[in-house]
Amino acid sequence: MFHYTRWTALREVLLWIVALIFLLPFYFLISTALKSDAEVFSTNPVAPPSAMELGNFAEVFTATGQSNILLGLLNSVIITGGSILGLVVLGSLAGYVIARSTRRWSKVAYYLFLVAITLPTQLGTVPLYIGARTLGLTGSPWGMIVLYTGMLLPLSIFLYAGFFRGLGIAYEEAAVMDGATPTQVFFLIVLPLMAPATGTVAILAGLIVWNDFFTPLIFLAGSGAQTLPVAMYFYVGSLVSQWNQIFAIVIVSMIPIIAFYLFAQKKFMQGFAGGLKN
Amino acid sequence: MIQHRKAFRRGVVLALPVAGVLALTACSAAGSGDGDANGFTFTYQTSNNLESPYATLAKEYMKSHPGVTITLNPQPNDRYGQTLRTQLQGGNASDLIQTAPGTGQPHSALTLAQAGFLEPLGKSAASLIPKGSDSLFYIGDKLYAQPVDFTVNGVVYNTTAAAKAGITKFPATTEELVQNCKTLSAKGMSFVALAGGAPPNLIQITQVISATRVYAENPDWNQDRSTGSVTFANTQGWRDTLQTIVDLNKAGCFQAGAQGSGFDAITNGLSRGTALAGFIPGGSAKELMSAAPDQKMVVQAFPPAQGGKTFTLGGSNYSLSVNAASTKKKAIQDFLDWLAQPQNAKRYAEISGAIPVSGLESVDLAGSAYQPVEPLLRSGSYAPLPTTVWPNESVADAISSGVQGLLTGQNTIDQVLAKMDAAWDQ
Amino acid sequence: MTASTHRGDRSLAAGQRPATPRAGTPGRPPRPRRPRPLIAFGHWWWALPAIIAVTAIHYAATAAGGFFAFTDWSGIGSFEFIGWDNFTRILADPVQLGALRNTLLIAFGSVVLTNVIGLGLALALNRGLKTRYVLRVLLFMPVVLSPLAVSYIWKFIFEYNGPLNQFLGALGLTSLQKAWLADPTWSIWVILVVVVWQNTGIAMVIYLANLASVDPGIEEAAALDGAGVMQRFRHITLPSIRPAIAISTTLGLINGFRVFDQIMALTGGGPAGATETLATEVYKETFSLGNFGYGAALALMLTVIILVFAIVQQRVTRDRSKEGQ
Repeated sequence: MFHYTRWTALREVLLWIVALIFLLPFYFLISTALKSDAEVFSTNPVAPPSAMELGNFAEVFTATGQSNILLGLLNSVIITGGSILGLVVLGSLAGYVIARSTRRWSKVAYYLFLVAITLPTQLGTVPLYIGARTLGLTGSPWGMIVLYTGMLLPLSIFLYAGFFRGLGIAYEEAAVMDGATPTQVFFLIVLPLMAPATGTVAILAGLIVWNDFFTPLIFLAGSGAQTLPVAMYFYVGSLVSQWNQIFAIVIVSMIPIIAFYLFAQKKFMQGFAGGLKN
Repeated sequence: MIQHRKAFRRGVVLALPVAGVLALTACSAAGSGDGDANGFTFTYQTSNNLESPYATLAKEYMKSHPGVTITLNPQPNDRYGQTLRTQLQGGNASDLIQTAPGTGQPHSALTLAQAGFLEPLGKSAASLIPKGSDSLFYIGDKLYAQPVDFTVNGVVYNTTAAAKAGITKFPATTEELVQNCKTLSAKGMSFVALAGGAPPNLIQITQVISATRVYAENPDWNQDRSTGSVTFANTQGWRDTLQTIVDLNKAGCFQAGAQGSGFDAITNGLSRGTALAGFIPGGSAKELMSAAPDQKMVVQAFPPAQGGKTFTLGGSNYSLSVNAASTKKKAIQDFLDWLAQPQNAKRYAEISGAIPVSGLESVDLAGSAYQPVEPLLRSGSYAPLPTTVWPNESVADAISSGVQGLLTGQNTIDQVLAKMDAAWDQ
Repeated sequence: MTASTHRGDRSLAAGQRPATPRAGTPGRPPRPRRPRPLIAFGHWWWALPAIIAVTAIHYAATAAGGFFAFTDWSGIGSFEFIGWDNFTRILADPVQLGALRNTLLIAFGSVVLTNVIGLGLALALNRGLKTRYVLRVLLFMPVVLSPLAVSYIWKFIFEYNGPLNQFLGALGLTSLQKAWLADPTWSIWVILVVVVWQNTGIAMVIYLANLASVDPGIEEAAALDGAGVMQRFRHITLPSIRPAIAISTTLGLINGFRVFDQIMALTGGGPAGATETLATEVYKETFSLGNFGYGAALALMLTVIILVFAIVQQRVTRDRSKEGQ
């Protein structure tokens, strides 16, 4: 069909040039993080480091208090994992009945969720904050899990409902004919089929939670339960433009997500493409 | 389909123990933070990479008081007030917090106390309050802030770099200063290093210049503004203050790109000798010299306009307050009492480069970084930092965005003054 | 259209108007509408926890915020109703009007740029290249990173002594060197560049997914019939990627209105408010200045703007996708 012509080769070279320009920021990131304090002030920012200085990275792990990066990592893992769990359980159950029910309430509920996706969070932030403070949910990772689950449920339900709508009901019908209860149908027939939608929900929602900075800054700031971006923010703030050390923590903070991305890159892209199979 | 099912089961089998482990580690992580009855957390602002005097003192305290752990949470000073307020509102702020005396900044102690965020302090702090400034520390008979310093707010001046550039005498007038700017920029240097992208530095330059233009003429200007007999817009001194900033900018007195710089521009400029002066609190002279021992730095008052009177700003810039939501009040009060002891107050002054909070009269300033301003201090030619006295933080906010706008040409002086008045009356 | 195209269209369409029941799929008979189905799937109360959580966290909180927009509450203590005062103050304040302008500029600017660049990359990477998978992985990478971390890298690049000015200097273009992040004209565009750099990958994969379901045979046939590149793009490719355009622009617009982290990390809204948006003003008024009622009024405006554009977008794309089918 398509032949690899000189044209294609030219296109390939051109795209690599574009990609390298596009990725140039990563060059600055890595080369600066490897410079010593003296070098980062004295040399041209574009020049590569004269020697590999790994001390900046060692420094990152010595930070305590609010910029403790390992504690931030642990909190991020707990909060992201817990939120995904909540979103998958509550989202799939609600998405399923809403997709399958033909009653009027399900349509109303569906629009309730759909509109909530577009509602910006700013207006509700302070009332939520006051509510969370009254309930003692600020400053704890568990409060954040509850909050994120509620905040991202509309997205999760939207994705699950769309998925279940596209899923044939033949198996479920057959099971009901055989006398299975609705609960059995869901757990034995539907649940094993929904892995692709669950992957999409986990990746989209997980990424939002993992990278969120504003919500934990407000709800967790100062509590010692800070997440990775917040720990990075405080670490950077105490540095005042020591770019070699700033970039060391930026790299450290990026490693988990980039590793996970490279491991599951296809799933990531599918997730963003709306769960399409290509 | 069978594959899906397998994958899913594997997922469940993995997820359960992982969740369990996370639950356990989270409990232990949360526990270690506040389990210790003698430990408390301490938040203060930093603007450079040197060890803060608070950190040094906290470490010394921990050494002499085994069993006490102080967890330090330094915060960047360009958004310190904002961060602190957010944390206080969420109930997550540190037990001990660095505040500022008075009312005019987001982290001002009395503003925070009025909002119910602070706990009144024990009596050990009372003896430290500088004479005549009770109103910056008390609401009624309740004391909310313990002062830690007497700071001279003028400019920190690098005499080594100045000598190298051929400037042997600190300019006596602003006009003289401006004349030096051209020569310096030809050499790739600047007279002033300005952090024009950092609100606190924009507020500082405006206040310091206002000392000679406003407060030297009328030391009671703040009171007059409160009663409404003057405004920013109808005070020629404020107009001159802002005009001076515009003139300095036009004459190339600031480093290139100053309108977007952070505090690193000042730290690097002064310690490497590419700039001669910075609008930073006097104590920083000492901090900077410890980072760059080959550069000599002194504190100078910003020169008046031709024919004007030399004048500067002085008073307590920093104070310590206790979070009302803290559960470690006893441990904190012990620490504050320790800090209030004369030898420890002196120790703070020594490491921070400030003047001890009480007893300015008895301190020998000869040979210190403060020698150039000694006559002003002795004759009482200084006013308190205006932002400690102003009624709300919006005035300072109007200055920081307004003055940056003057540097970039977005605002006119009239607009900035009008905004400052509007903020005051808000 | 081939079966695969059809499937692609359907699943994409699910993103924009999922409420419409889809009929006529092979292997699934159309579900008749009836008040009481003979077979029940699941229990209605399974949706209850989700409905309660969303009602509380989205609707109740937003409604409470909307309520305070008409008060002078400072976040603490008592408050008074002041009617539309907050809104008249917003509309009279040049800073807030500038923030509104910036909000719209970033939202629409980022939608246009990410979609044009993303579509270009998707078309170039769709077929033929040997290394297309590696390139996709690399070009998508910024999407997964935290906006805060990304902003730190770009802040370094745009610093006065940073790589960009050094590069301009090396080219002899010293007159173009400037304090990019403190320049009243350029700083907003710098923020746009950072947002576009990070979000282009999303548009790219949405278009790639759609393009993968377009039968290459049709395009080849058109090529054999002598249709030029542009003609093929206009008459074959463009109509078949309409669903992707709809999704990608909706997503981009909603995200564009909410840009916050990048601005806080790059300029903090400066110089002198030149890069403030409604989102950053809400934060500043509410959390640093304690003007909660005023901040809520700003947030209410942002909410209304987003809802209006979301509805307009729904209408426009619904017509378009009908055309496309």
